Amino acid sequence: SVEGDAIKVYVRVRPPSEGTALMDGEQGLCLSVLSSNTIRLHSKPEPKIFTFDYVANMETTQESVFSSVAKNIVESCMNGYNGTIFAYGQTGSGKTFTMMGPSDSDNFTHSLRGVIPRSFEYLFFLIEREKEKAGSGKSFLCKCSFIEIYNEQIFDLLDSASAGLFLREHIKKGVFVDGAVEQVLASAAEAYQVLTMGWRNRRVASTSMNRESSRSHAVFTITVESMEKNNEVVNIRSSLLNLVDLAGSERQKDTHTEGLRLKEAGNINRSLSCLGQVITALVDVGNGKQRHICYRDSKLTFLLRDSLGGNAKTCIIANVHPGSRCFGETLSTLNFAQRAKLIKNKAVVNEDTQGNVS
Amino acid sequence: MAAAGASGWAAVCEKFRTARTLSAVESRKDPETEPYRSKYSARALLQEVKQLLSAAEEGDEPRLLAVRRAVLEYELGVNHTDTEELSAGEEHLQRCTQLLEPHRLSPDCVSLYIQAQNNLGILWSERDEIKTAQTYLESAEALYNQYMKEDGNPPLDPSEHFMSEEEKLTDQERSKRFEKAYTHTLYYLAQVYQHLEMIEKAAQYCHTTLKRQLEYCGYYPVEWALNAATLSQYYLSKQCFMESRHCLAAASVIFSQAGQVPSAEDNEMEQDQQDLRQRKAEIARCWIKYCLNLLQSARKLLEDNIGELDPDRQSELKAQRKKEEDEKENGRKKAVLFGTSDICDSVLAMEEKVSSVYPLDFQEAREIFLVGQNYVQEAKEFFQVDGYVTDHIEIVQDHSALFKVLAFFEEDYERRCKMHKRRIDMLEPLYTDLNPQYYLLISRQLQFELADTYYEMMDLKVAIGNRLEELDSHTIKKINSLAQLAIKYYELFLDSLRNPDKVFPEQLEEDVLRPAMVAKFHIARLYGKLITSDSKKQLENMQTSLEYYTFLVDYCEKYPDAVRAIETELELSKEMVGLLPTRMERLRAKLCPFI
Repeated sequence: SVEGDAIKVYVRVRPPSEGTALMDGEQGLCLSVLSSNTIRLHSKPEPKIFTFDYVANMETTQESVFSSVAKNIVESCMNGYNGTIFAYGQTGSGKTFTMMGPSDSDNFTHSLRGVIPRSFEYLFFLIEREKEKAGSGKSFLCKCSFIEIYNEQIFDLLDSASAGLFLREHIKKGVFVDGAVEQVLASAAEAYQVLTMGWRNRRVASTSMNRESSRSHAVFTITVESMEKNNEVVNIRSSLLNLVDLAGSERQKDTHTEGLRLKEAGNINRSLSCLGQVITALVDVGNGKQRHICYRDSKLTFLLRDSLGGNAKTCIIANVHPGSRCFGETLSTLNFAQRAKLIKNKAVVNEDTQGNVS
Repeated sequence: MAAAGASGWAAVCEKFRTARTLSAVESRKDPETEPYRSKYSARALLQEVKQLLSAAEEGDEPRLLAVRRAVLEYELGVNHTDTEELSAGEEHLQRCTQLLEPHRLSPDCVSLYIQAQNNLGILWSERDEIKTAQTYLESAEALYNQYMKEDGNPPLDPSEHFMSEEEKLTDQERSKRFEKAYTHTLYYLAQVYQHLEMIEKAAQYCHTTLKRQLEYCGYYPVEWALNAATLSQYYLSKQCFMESRHCLAAASVIFSQAGQVPSAEDNEMEQDQQDLRQRKAEIARCWIKYCLNLLQSARKLLEDNIGELDPDRQSELKAQRKKEEDEKENGRKKAVLFGTSDICDSVLAMEEKVSSVYPLDFQEAREIFLVGQNYVQEAKEFFQVDGYVTDHIEIVQDHSALFKVLAFFEEDYERRCKMHKRRIDMLEPLYTDLNPQYYLLISRQLQFELADTYYEMMDLKVAIGNRLEELDSHTIKKINSLAQLAIKYYELFLDSLRNPDKVFPEQLEEDVLRPAMVAKFHIARLYGKLITSDSKKQLENMQTSLEYYTFLVDYCEKYPDAVRAIETELELSKEMVGLLPTRMERLRAKLCPFI
């Protein structure tokens, strides 16, 4: 359990797109995969070595990405843990391919299908197996919701007519999106159908309202509820599986991924608003004193609060493009991934009992 | 303008003005696919103006020309950096400062020079060269100060160099724009210092920026109030209560302005109102932390080595405070005060409602407690458990902490016990409802706090009982049941550390190490305190106690790193592990005297 709660970080290198490979040749690559968990970035003057839980090179198959990344999480989900899988990376680094599969196919049996459809299959496979084992004593209920966070506003992808939704918390059910449509799922195929329908909504939204898909985060959530009857005692267990497609990392200039640059004020009055961020940063490094910070969570981190250093199994797939033109973005993605490894469940317990030992 | 004549100059000015509008206003409407369309048009216009200027070179006064060129270089520099052409931008900005260098302290140049420096600062920060950015910004700051000292008249705004006489700005407007440019310098410096981890300096510059926003009316009340409230939390972490209170009082005063602004659209109205209510509650939470910290810090000062109020220390501090008061003006910080007369009066009035000096007795502590408690009610009005579980529980935890620290000042044990009972009453129902699958962390905190509170109550009952000649059965029952409840919650906490297969971790993670060890240690002690007339039962309790003490000792032997976290507890545990077997032996001998 000592290492169990840390976030697992996987890096996947996509093959260079056809054009660039021909143009730049071998020299056009800015990184090389050294082993199944180290990667070397050809930075100057010194190359940089990064170590992760797993590094998938260009030849790695979808199946093997799934088995090393998601299998474990889906299994824990069956055991009552919440699980979350994130895809992170710049636009064009292969996030959607990794998570969904080839973009032009809704075909759930496609040999190149991604982590999400494979997770569905595996989840329902496990459920069937469990049902057979337990007989009539055990039953399952799966539900899903699919939302999009754009500009700190929440939209329901399963109900394109809905306006902005709110995040709320329930003392028994945790964080939830108030009013989000929940669809009951009976099979993996059904789950995939809901997913693709929602995904299409996401793209539609990108044209009709001038939203660009890579600027939004999409969160697909499956709730697995199991009910077991044991001598009149009913045991209900429920867990969540979140599959998250993050906005292109190059768009996230407002989060902690950015470097040292100053926020500009421009001409308008509103301009000095980032002062709040500076102050928040000052308070954040305070020395364990009781304090309250007014500006806090973004919608995404609030929704996934549990997954980011909580009572959950979480992994991040950092996608990178190996082209030397993407050097800057790749470096920042790898740096982000490196930092993500340090996120842990901080179980701070208020405990000040000096003097009580007498 | 000899060559072009008056109408020619008017055309130049017009071009310049169009370029500025394109850059500042139009560019915001540019389509995503061509984000810099207006900026590029503005650039072309600026280039034209530059050409016209050089054509007019002869016959014009060289200084005037140089300054006008500098304005163009500045605009071009900003234009290029805006469109991500940093190197070109840098060249223009450098040329601008070079042209101005000899005149930088004169009223027609100083503002432009400062703004050019600001932009060079931003530019270098984009290159991740914060140190270089710092030098530009600090020199801008120095120039402002020098100018204000030596001249101080409202200087020309850069745009005025391309305006006709009748369009020129009023002194008031000039001064406003100049001060704004300087506010930006400070605001950038605040960021620079934060990046360089010069925390104190960064805070100081944030503070000054806020103050200047207020002075020059460049602020949105809600945002300003939140910034000030957050800054108060920085001061709290530095134990600067006077500054912290000042920020909070100003936040409350400025926030109250926000509610009066009517909202434009109806459907946004509700959302805005909701938002305002949340912000208000956030500020209340900052106040709660203020009261809590003040009380807790006072407690630290006053407590003796077993955590009780030390009367000697108390009279010592009281005498000291008396002396300081006599010396008058007990150091009202010269620091930065917010607001001009009107606001300042309201802020002062607000400040008077709660002390910023350490409370030294129950009466003083109670006054701060009551202020804190009022803010607890205010914060809870918005952060209700239904919808805001985490926030709500955090507020209740603060409320409990307020009672806990107030109890420290209470001399009467019975009344103190009642205060702890209040904590139990507010925490227990929340804990019972809370689902640890989603709120593991809070759930653990509640378990531990409940355990500790019962533990404390038990200690108090023992102390009350010790004053009696003989323990009555009622007191014994009370002590035992409190001890059992404390054990129950400590065990729940320890159970929460188990893995899904119910196995307790071989090695504890750092962040739960100390609480887990303290829980074990307290359980050991609690079994030692259980009162029973049944010797066999007593022996059993001693046995359990011994097991828990042994756990601590064994664990630390196996993982010596753990020793640091629980030194005192470990020492006592070792002692008990040595003592208990002998005591148990004696008891056994008493039980079966014939063996």
